[in-house]
Amino acid sequence: MSEEIPDRESIDRIGEEASRDITEASELETLERARIVWLGRKGRLTSALRSIGKLPEDQRPVVGGMINEWKEKLGVLFDNRCAELSGSCREEEPCPGDATLPGRRNWEGGLHILHRVIRNIKEIFYRMGYSIVEGPDVELDYYNFEALNFPADHPSRDLQDTFYVNRDILLRTQTSPVQVRFMEKNEPPLRIISPGRVYRNETPDPSHAAEFFQIEGLYVDKNVSLADLLNDITWFIHQFFGPDARVRFRPHFFPFTEPRAEVDMTCFGCKGEGCSICQKTGWIEIMGAGMVHPNVFKCAGYNPDSVTGFAFGMGIERIAMLKYGVDDIRRFLGNDMRFLEQFWNKTWVGVQE
Amino acid sequence: MGGGAGVKVSLNWLKRYVDIEEDPATLAHDLTMFGLNVESVEVCGGEYTDVVFGRVLECGRHPDADKLSVCTVDAGTGTPLNIVCGAPNVRAGLSVAVAVQGAVLKGGFKIKKTKLRGVVSEGMICSEIELGIGDDAGGIIELDMELEPGASLDGRLGSSDVILDIEVTPNRPDQLSHFGIAREIAALYMRELREPELFDLETGYDFPIETEDDSDCSRYSAAFVGDINIGPSPKWMRDLLISAGVKPIYNIVDVTNFVLLEMGQPLHAFDRDKLGRDGIFIRRGRSGESMYTLDDIEREVGEDVLLITDGETPVGVAGVMGGRDSEITGSTKRVLIESAWFDPRAVRRSSRELKLDTEASYRFEREGDPGITVRALMRVCRLIADIGAGKPEKLHADYLADRELIEPRTITLRTKQANRLIGTRLGADDLVELLSRLQLISVEDGKDINVTVPTFRRDITEEVDLIEEVARLYGYENIGREEGRCSSLFSEVSIVDMRNEELCDRLAARGFAEVITTSFMDPGDPGSFEWGESDPRSRHVEISNPLTVAQSALRTSLLPGMLRVIRRNAPVERDGIRIFELAKVFLQREEGRGLPREELHLTALFTRRSAPLQWHGEQRDFDFFDMTGEAESVLEWLGATKDLVMERIKASEPDFLFEWILKNRPAGNCGMIPGRVLARFDIDTRVYYFDLLIDVFPPGRSGRKSYIRISQYPAVKRDLSVLAPERVTFSDVRNVVKKRAKHLESVRLFDYYRGDRLGERKRSYAFRMTFRSMEGTLDDETVDRTIDKVLAALQNELQVTLRSE
Repeated sequence: MSEEIPDRESIDRIGEEASRDITEASELETLERARIVWLGRKGRLTSALRSIGKLPEDQRPVVGGMINEWKEKLGVLFDNRCAELSGSCREEEPCPGDATLPGRRNWEGGLHILHRVIRNIKEIFYRMGYSIVEGPDVELDYYNFEALNFPADHPSRDLQDTFYVNRDILLRTQTSPVQVRFMEKNEPPLRIISPGRVYRNETPDPSHAAEFFQIEGLYVDKNVSLADLLNDITWFIHQFFGPDARVRFRPHFFPFTEPRAEVDMTCFGCKGEGCSICQKTGWIEIMGAGMVHPNVFKCAGYNPDSVTGFAFGMGIERIAMLKYGVDDIRRFLGNDMRFLEQFWNKTWVGVQE
Repeated sequence: MGGGAGVKVSLNWLKRYVDIEEDPATLAHDLTMFGLNVESVEVCGGEYTDVVFGRVLECGRHPDADKLSVCTVDAGTGTPLNIVCGAPNVRAGLSVAVAVQGAVLKGGFKIKKTKLRGVVSEGMICSEIELGIGDDAGGIIELDMELEPGASLDGRLGSSDVILDIEVTPNRPDQLSHFGIAREIAALYMRELREPELFDLETGYDFPIETEDDSDCSRYSAAFVGDINIGPSPKWMRDLLISAGVKPIYNIVDVTNFVLLEMGQPLHAFDRDKLGRDGIFIRRGRSGESMYTLDDIEREVGEDVLLITDGETPVGVAGVMGGRDSEITGSTKRVLIESAWFDPRAVRRSSRELKLDTEASYRFEREGDPGITVRALMRVCRLIADIGAGKPEKLHADYLADRELIEPRTITLRTKQANRLIGTRLGADDLVELLSRLQLISVEDGKDINVTVPTFRRDITEEVDLIEEVARLYGYENIGREEGRCSSLFSEVSIVDMRNEELCDRLAARGFAEVITTSFMDPGDPGSFEWGESDPRSRHVEISNPLTVAQSALRTSLLPGMLRVIRRNAPVERDGIRIFELAKVFLQREEGRGLPREELHLTALFTRRSAPLQWHGEQRDFDFFDMTGEAESVLEWLGATKDLVMERIKASEPDFLFEWILKNRPAGNCGMIPGRVLARFDIDTRVYYFDLLIDVFPPGRSGRKSYIRISQYPAVKRDLSVLAPERVTFSDVRNVVKKRAKHLESVRLFDYYRGDRLGERKRSYAFRMTFRSMEGTLDDETVDRTIDKVLAALQNELQVTLRSE
């Protein structure tokens, strides 16, 4: 095929013919064919552009410009026609008849409620400057009792309460051994919380489990005081349970702290009025706390005259039970899906609505 | 000095005003902690390695260059060195300083063997400039000492000095001088500060000084010197100027520069006989007016330029640069030395307008000390008299528009407020003591103190400025470190904890229910799973006083407990279950003593339907690849896919159990739990699982180390359908493709078939490869060539062929 040498008239002729083809195309297929014939790589306008070199030099820019103008114009025509044709014959109704049909779903998932309570508590303490430290579940008797100032005849050391592997090894009954281990390896100041599983050799019933979760905290520095303890705990409770919760501290006993305090807060069931959750007292016990006993510091290799510190601990299940009115502690490790999925839909389990 | 945001000070110079025993590094650190950020410490002059004593043996013309000589030099290296030298004074017999190969001269210039116009040169004969000990670049140093050739000149040449480059913040123009820095050092180390010696000037010279607008120039002082004797400055002054980076010119100019660098006050010396009228008038330029400045450039000096005039003719740009026509020359007899305080804004305007930054304008723009003008004149006159550059007149002239400008300010500092802001427990007497170190004189007034602020501290205008000075003097390093004080203590990030939390979130979001199961296990469980005796999962820790036999062992795997969760949730009723647990298992140590090994596992189980019952299509059961897909996603997130190998557990035949190995360490296992095992747990649906040993994967930095650039060019996609022998897995094929295909972005398998139709023990894989380049759009030919290479490699390495049909 001999290529025609383009001149102005032939260009306009090609252009007009092409526009007719494009605007008159009645189906996408014919439209596409027209595009290939006129605008394609081997199309007539393109080949015209290619043979422009055969023109005298002074005519080239003019004719070239015309060709490009046509290409642009035809491109727009093509796009418009394409949109028209696809509009009329392509677009289907995306939701035939009923847009309220259930959407396509996958199985939902979520975190275990205990995990979420632990996480929220960790989060609050983390922001207060506590670092997260963990330790082993299976522990030496030394760390679980001796280093924590548990006298040999303390009831907690009774075989009834502790699972033993052998004479020296046991399942930790509290997360406090983590604190001793941490103090052995680190110098004050330090401020840590240790969440984890603890074990008590108790026959399970609705309010007792043989394994459950605890979070304990420890703060040691030059001049940590009971006032600091009350401050931190109150802040935590306000963050977790809401600013309306009132907190009270009353003397109590734990071997590894002195002075010590039991921490109560206003019952979130009745806001202090008295109800079944708080057994009509208006108060519920939330944690134990106190100033670290000098003997514990001695075991850790600290000089009790140069440092002071406080420690506190709370049971996770207890908090979740109180918060959600769960009637049986065994639910948590029971993992019934109908139980678990109830707690999947909210990000924050702490503060009361 | 000046220029940027810093000041270069010479240690030798500083020592004129304050004793400094500290080594330069200590001084730099202490100054930095004191608020004067030392950006660099440069030791210059005096210390040279590989600069040696040499003697020029012969000296001849360079064959191709008139100005170069070719010398042979004995530098103690055995054979004499051939050195090309450009100095006019080089000649045979001369004792010289030779920088031999390896020497590093001023400015980091390294000496190595080179060719100069075709002649080899094996070193360099040095001039003062190259050694940084002087400013004479005109010729090489002619040494007048007698040493063995090759003897090191380290410590024998010039004066050694240390240059500190100190960042000066815009509020502290008083630090833009050696004396200013010395004042800080004296305060820092509590040492005596020695004031420079002054000439006794008295006011009363009858000399007209007028201003057009007092707000442009509030103070103009002038001293007068006669019997000018132009000549070079003494060596000690030239050395200090060079150290501070200023080229010595001749005495009268040098002393004004010296006082600028010493006290921070810019001075200018006019040839008094060249002032058209004996008087000074400070005014703005007029439109169309122009003058020649010292740099010999004619400049238009319009209304934005503040001028010093002799009443009519401009003789200088105020605070920026003097005029050419009143410049000091060899024939100058009498000079007027200007020491003024110009409005910082006026100087900045002039400097901007003329695009001219000078040492002087740099200081005026930062609002120097209006109280120092006469002292600076006293100092310059002292120096002029001492070095014999002229005879200062006893009287000086001083125009002061407003006395208040030079009155010291008094500010009350409340002790309580200072302690409150800094966190100290200082007494009023402590504050007085601290501030006195900075020449801030104060008197106690009950619990507070009244502080008199000298004019050089224009930055101190209110109480809080003084409190900052107290904190600085007390030492930022000491604040909050007092005995008996609680420390600030913040949380440490636990990467492991963060990783674990994110991992759980990820699985929960992918539709897994998290479960928390008991740490106990039935001692019979390993048997139910048929774990062999060598399997660590068969060596459990036993509780000596268990609640029940079924709780008398600690779990060695999460699987038994999780299977019980499935059982309890009645999978048929539940339709589909997908659960995970991230928890510890307890493994007895080999020796059987001590605490057990606690290993963190991520275990996931899948059973029954892969999605809830719904109207969109058929429900199907979870299958093997649902399980591996989730496992792959977790492994990818852990950043472990690269070195991970998946293998069938050999002993598991006929069961379908597989194991992951990460760098020869077991990283987990997966598969379909055998039906007979499930039966022992009373489960009759298929259960798939994966179990990962999370501790094996590094907790942090498992993701990308750095970002990968994104190509802006389009991708090219190619599909290949290949026929493979039975033993060849898709991961074999993919590895070969990845190794061979340049520009490969991804490989995705979209069809897999295994069957008789293909012939004995054959399988077919169809996959799509995506290619993309960073450099440009890939063309068909390039991609075709790559495909050919891939196919050839598949054929050679795996006997995999292109499917022909």
